[in-house]
Amino acid sequence: MQELFESINWALITPLLVIQAILLLVALIDWAKEEETSGPKWMWFFIIVFVNIIGPVLYFIFGKRRD
Amino acid sequence: MQWTTLFKKEMVESWRNKKLIWLPLVMILLAIMDPISNYYMPQIIEAVGGLPDGATFELPDFTPAEVVMMSLSQFSTLGVLIVVLVSMGTIAGERKSGISELVLVKPVSYGNYITAKWAALLLLVWISFFLGMLASWYYINILYGDLSFGSFSRIIFFYGLWLMFVVTLSIFFNSMIKTSGLVAFFTIATIMLMRVVTEVFNHILEWSPNNLSNYILEMLLTESIPSNLIGTAIITIIITATLLIVSINTFKSKELAN
Repeated sequence: MQELFESINWALITPLLVIQAILLLVALIDWAKEEETSGPKWMWFFIIVFVNIIGPVLYFIFGKRRD
Repeated sequence: MQWTTLFKKEMVESWRNKKLIWLPLVMILLAIMDPISNYYMPQIIEAVGGLPDGATFELPDFTPAEVVMMSLSQFSTLGVLIVVLVSMGTIAGERKSGISELVLVKPVSYGNYITAKWAALLLLVWISFFLGMLASWYYINILYGDLSFGSFSRIIFFYGLWLMFVVTLSIFFNSMIKTSGLVAFFTIATIMLMRVVTEVFNHILEWSPNNLSNYILEMLLTESIPSNLIGTAIITIIITATLLIVSINTFKSKELAN
């Protein structure tokens, strides 16, 4: 594992991680502002935080209530 | 004037529900995932282990053209799925909740209503796709070798036509069906059916929109625009325009019937 970390060029990987972080953050901010989501609100929190990339996408598509 | 107002309303809405932020981000992630993970594949395999001693595993060296096609195939599967899911409620949802009636009570033409929705959705999808491909292009140039700006812009143009077709198909089903889940289902089903039909009758349906990405690959390999690509592009534009006109008419008759 140590070698893997050393061999990685972080200048290449960082943008990937930053974009994932922004996606997570945007989803969380939106989640916090939303009064009601479809389905229990805390459930979406765990989906957003623990399911990488797909979690925020699922939240944006299915989590927001349409009214 | 009226059209611009409707269009602006759509853009404000996709900004408010953050589509304008997250869709580009997701498309960028989709586009750069494969170029990066394939580049690091030898290290990943080594770190995970699993290969017996002495076993050698030759990884092919990818050419820029192959890597672009990896990004495009991500767009063709997950990308299209996300685009369909994003667009499934755009009219269907408004009709269900009665917003479209509020809008259409005013002297708003059905044509303006549909085309404004279509254009706003298309712009959103094109921006996301463009940013994704831009990121992919950047990584390809760093990791795999040169891909000319000419090829890049041709990919954007021709694959953009395919996405336009997907968006229009979704709008078409939106104008017919009120349940957004069904809209998504029919859109995906139609695309899959078209793929099967195109593969079975490939000798007749040379210019089917589903062939766009095959011809894009051909274009990258031969470094010229194959005539089939132009034919397919024209057919795609014609089908898109027809679908749009038909959706305006079905929407009109459905709304008047209510």
